[in-house]
Amino acid sequence: MAQAAHQSDTTSVVASIRDVGLAYWQNQTWNDVLHKVHLDVHAGEIVGLVGESGCGKSSLSLLLMGYRHPAAKVRSGEIWFGGRDLLAMSEAELADIRGNRIGFVPQNPTTALNPGMRVGAQIAEVLRVHGRTGGGEAVTARIVELFNDVGLPEPRALMRRYPHQLSGGQQQRVTIAMALACDPDLVVLDEPTTGLDVTTQEQIILLLKRLRSRHGTAMLYVTHDLGVLSELADRISVMYAGHLVESAPTEVLFDHPRHPYTRGLIGSIPRIDGRRPRDGRLTGYLDRREIPPGCPFQPRCPLADDRCAVEPQELAAFAPGHEVACRHADAVSPLVLDDGGVRPERGDSAILLEVENLDLRYGQKSLYQRLVPSALPPVVVRDVSFTIGEAEVVALVGESGSGKSTIARAISGLLPPIGGRIALRGSELAGDIGARSQDVVRRIQFIFQNPDASLNPRQSVGRSLARPIEVFFDRSHGVPRDLAERALDEVMLTADYAGRYPDQLSGGERQRIAIARALVAEPDLLLCDEVLSALDVSVQANVLDLLERLRRETSVAMLFISHDLAVVRRLADRVCVLYHGQMMQVGPVEAVFEPPFHPYTLTLLMSLPGSHLRPGQPVARSEPTRAPEPQGCAFAGRCPWQPDERCYTQPPPLHITDRDVAIRCHLPLADLSNLAGADGSLSTHATQTSQAGQTP
Amino acid sequence: MQILALCLKRTATALLTLLLVSLIVFVAVEIIPGDAATRVAGRDATEETLEVLRQRMHLDLPPAERYLTWLGGVVTGQFGDVLTSGRSVVEILAPRVVNTLILSGIALAIYFPLVLIPAIFQAVRRDRAADHALSTITLVLLSIPDFVLATFLLLLFAVVIPIFPAMSTIDERSTFFDIVNVSIMPAVTLAIVMAVYAVRMLREGLIDVLDADFVRMARLKGLSQRRVLLRHALPNAVVPTLNVTALNLAYLIGGVVVVERVFSFPGFGSLIVDSLKLLDAPLIQATVLLASAVYIGANLAVDIMAILLNPRLRKG
Amino acid sequence: MADASATTMARAGAESRLTRARRFWSAAPSAFRIGAIILAIHILLALIGWVWTPYDYVARVGIPLSGMSWEHPFGIDQNARDIFSRVLYGGHIVILLSVSGTLLGVVVGAALGLTSGYLGGWFDEAMMRLFDAFNSIPFLVLALLASAVAGPVASGEPLLLVGVVALVYAPRVGRIARGAAQTVAIQDYVMVARLRRERVRDVVRREILPNCSGPLLVEFALRAGYAPVLIGSLGFLGFGVRAPLPEWGRMIAENRNLIFTTPEALLAPGIALATLVVGLNLFTDGIARLIGRSTPHAGA
Repeated sequence: MAQAAHQSDTTSVVASIRDVGLAYWQNQTWNDVLHKVHLDVHAGEIVGLVGESGCGKSSLSLLLMGYRHPAAKVRSGEIWFGGRDLLAMSEAELADIRGNRIGFVPQNPTTALNPGMRVGAQIAEVLRVHGRTGGGEAVTARIVELFNDVGLPEPRALMRRYPHQLSGGQQQRVTIAMALACDPDLVVLDEPTTGLDVTTQEQIILLLKRLRSRHGTAMLYVTHDLGVLSELADRISVMYAGHLVESAPTEVLFDHPRHPYTRGLIGSIPRIDGRRPRDGRLTGYLDRREIPPGCPFQPRCPLADDRCAVEPQELAAFAPGHEVACRHADAVSPLVLDDGGVRPERGDSAILLEVENLDLRYGQKSLYQRLVPSALPPVVVRDVSFTIGEAEVVALVGESGSGKSTIARAISGLLPPIGGRIALRGSELAGDIGARSQDVVRRIQFIFQNPDASLNPRQSVGRSLARPIEVFFDRSHGVPRDLAERALDEVMLTADYAGRYPDQLSGGERQRIAIARALVAEPDLLLCDEVLSALDVSVQANVLDLLERLRRETSVAMLFISHDLAVVRRLADRVCVLYHGQMMQVGPVEAVFEPPFHPYTLTLLMSLPGSHLRPGQPVARSEPTRAPEPQGCAFAGRCPWQPDERCYTQPPPLHITDRDVAIRCHLPLADLSNLAGADGSLSTHATQTSQAGQTP
Repeated sequence: MQILALCLKRTATALLTLLLVSLIVFVAVEIIPGDAATRVAGRDATEETLEVLRQRMHLDLPPAERYLTWLGGVVTGQFGDVLTSGRSVVEILAPRVVNTLILSGIALAIYFPLVLIPAIFQAVRRDRAADHALSTITLVLLSIPDFVLATFLLLLFAVVIPIFPAMSTIDERSTFFDIVNVSIMPAVTLAIVMAVYAVRMLREGLIDVLDADFVRMARLKGLSQRRVLLRHALPNAVVPTLNVTALNLAYLIGGVVVVERVFSFPGFGSLIVDSLKLLDAPLIQATVLLASAVYIGANLAVDIMAILLNPRLRKG
Repeated sequence: MADASATTMARAGAESRLTRARRFWSAAPSAFRIGAIILAIHILLALIGWVWTPYDYVARVGIPLSGMSWEHPFGIDQNARDIFSRVLYGGHIVILLSVSGTLLGVVVGAALGLTSGYLGGWFDEAMMRLFDAFNSIPFLVLALLASAVAGPVASGEPLLLVGVVALVYAPRVGRIARGAAQTVAIQDYVMVARLRRERVRDVVRREILPNCSGPLLVEFALRAGYAPVLIGSLGFLGFGVRAPLPEWGRMIAENRNLIFTTPEALLAPGIALATLVVGLNLFTDGIARLIGRSTPHAGA
């Protein structure tokens, strides 16, 4: 399909971006954001555009709509669509094309939909403005058709709702329906699944595939996530610092990347089979201030030489349909995957932390809520128990709303539980941090998700690192400055970082400092709350390496909170799967990734990009059909395998397998073993490189 | 249901605030140095006269009891008698309030167009020359104190081009039209001073809305600039406009004090100044409490409107 | 990366203070520059007026209301005093009263507001109700009430005016500070400090205050810009500094009945007051834009 579309005949080209350069007015100068970008989208084709944050991919997607930021200027090039140059059109001419011939799906549907307008009216508006339908009933009929198309239930009721009454996944389906309303020739999707949960993301991707095969609409899918594109795109273009560095059909790109950056990006994706590339990992990060006049990737490139820094690299044909902008393209070898070494066996270590029957609820009781009990916030975590051994890494896995971060807050003493107990080395911890001893407080350290917010912008790195030492230890422990420098060394940063301020650091560096700050307290337990999810893929891989080294070389235990099963597989000893504050499955990491599965665990696994559904295999519903009662199974409303009414009303029984996995489900263990299919194995490949990896 | 609960909660907060204000006002009047009886009877009064007077004014009772008695009176509309003439506070207050209401009404009528037109214009043509020029004009106007501006306007329209009266004489024989006629100049002053502040705030609020994701989305849907503005941006800018207006009411009440003074307008504002000059405790309590009540009430009204207009609280 | 940024920093360190100041000046918004110039002139004139005026500000120097002349550029008031000297002498009174009153109000308001915003809970609830109650009394009415109830002995004392300005500003600044503290208090680095069980005082001082300094600075400048108007209004209504001190608002009130005969007697203090406030407002606008554009570089 991809190759077929990429014939040299220009008649099938829907949109053609030629030599486009874009600059932003910033700090009194023009800064190039896009540099001679060349990209064609053919009829019926899905083109993926991938790059890390700040590479200019969103600016390009907006430019394809003829839209640019008021502070931006087109420096060169043209964008041909329907025989005309979009960049030379007036606003009125563009308005005729936008939403009509080219549809747009935004990154964040929650802010992109008008909060004060019913969703039906927002689509009807598009139809009317572009003169698509006649009277009121015809418009309604068309919206019903569109909603059916994008899989929204009960269209006639739904179109009368306001955006806030829909879930994130439903909102994104509405914007997709809006983009498709006028049967466009092209749809531009700007990170359409970034804010969504993994299972919702999977549903949206399935929807897009179905829409493409039904309508043959061409799409440009912009994302930072190569894994998503491996499932969806016919062809992928890789962007780095405003330059396109490689463009190839999807399979070719994954099997034989020819640009060192592409190769590094592919290698950075955590894989569900736990394997990793032997070499070629990305180092450093994109810093627009140090881009040389030659190849923009030169400062981070393992193959770079001095000529790379001065000779501009342009996309050139490497093979039919495969273009690369690299002098060393011939020297780039396919990725070779390793098992990642043998994990040290942990054996049965002593119990460090014990969590028993934990119940949690958000927020303090205000006076008003005390008077009106019905105004109390709902319970978000119900009856959760698990243990963490000395030096053990336990992962809490779940989507947003699963209560995984809330549990970490309770362990840290920020949120006193309403039921259950938490004990450290056998002695029960006070619910509120104020009632804990300084020593207990020191032993449990928290690392937060967002590195931008976890360091005080007005304190130097050295101050931030020295403060815990001053608070937790007396002078005999050592000079704070020396200890801070040692901590920097431990997270592989040089001592001169102590004098810097957070705004002089990259996201990855900040997260390293946050880890160092937790380590200087010499804790027994690190609570890592989604510490990787705010980072770019390449940076993520490096921080993951650091955590892995800590696990190997120190005796600190970790509670690792994540929504990403592939990352968890690499790092964790044991995994605990949560859904809506309830424990679904717990067990050793190897066993959790094999049957028997809890239905929700399997749903999560199937949502990973690159995993393949068997024909006829049931899929979890994207929205619950009805809310289960508090004591019922939280997943009941979405579960495709639920046996009967018991799921909604009765607490599910606990099954323990011979491999020490605990599963809470009404289905018998034998059925759970067969969920994934008769042979019981999963065909999950994080990316299509697996074949290449097997034959080094 | 949720809306009703929110509105009730907001109303309860407003009443609590008003109660606290009454306490502040009462305490403030209490700490005036010297004795109210002495102030009424004069320095030469004998001790016996003062004693009788104190009993009649209930000054011999403990402060807490007097506060509660006064509060009870306030709730039933009894503010007591003024110290100086012995007439009831309400009797003195009522005609002044009516005059000021007419003045404020005219000021608000001028205020709205004076705010909306430049603010929308500036937000739409943001960072262009016209926007910068208007910003500079509003900033300079903002910096001229109201009593200076009022004095200059008086100089201009009553002396240089005498089209309005310099003194606002109102008595029992004045007709409504007379009051309107003398109100125009003070009202224009008030409107200008309120508007320059509001224009700046509203411009910011509108720009926030224009920068919102859904406004960009509306343009990417192919809607015309005009439709984007009228259908998507402006409806979402109503709440910021209301908020600015509520803030301005606080100014209006303070501004009335100054502007009425400049134009010798016999309104509520000049009554506040007079009562404070004479240290007439019942009149101070009544006027200050009333001024605060107007402000609290206006804010409550705006907040409830914002709750009602919030689409997130709307049912489908 | 490490090398590149190290050299950048070394270069920045080698630059002289003067060059950096000059670069800052040329990059600053024009509102800031114009405001700074106007303010500088005002401060200079206030300093001159403090040590020297052509005539003593209470001396009878000529025939009352004899109009403008080279000896008396703004004429002579009805008490035979030189208006130019009085306006010049009034400068430092207005500026000192405004700045000290605002400073006191901002310090008190910020301390209460930041603590309230960080702590939350019942303390926050109580502070909010108190701030709300004070803010519900229109500020001029509150200022008049405070000056009036101080009684005839204290009335007219400059210190009383400082206190009145602070009383009016503290609850308003408190609200702003509380809002700013609330946005900082949910930042993870404050959580980290709470997880170290640091004392409230330490968290507010080390984590909250430095990260609220931007809004507080703007708030100070904004309030300082309005303080001369507030003091002038009080003076105009007869609750300002005691006669014969030539505070500008008071002078306008004194000379109000001269509006038909010698308008310059009002124009001079009026223009002085208006330009001071214009300067302060432009300056504030510039600071706000500087902060809005990018937070001041912490490393520099």
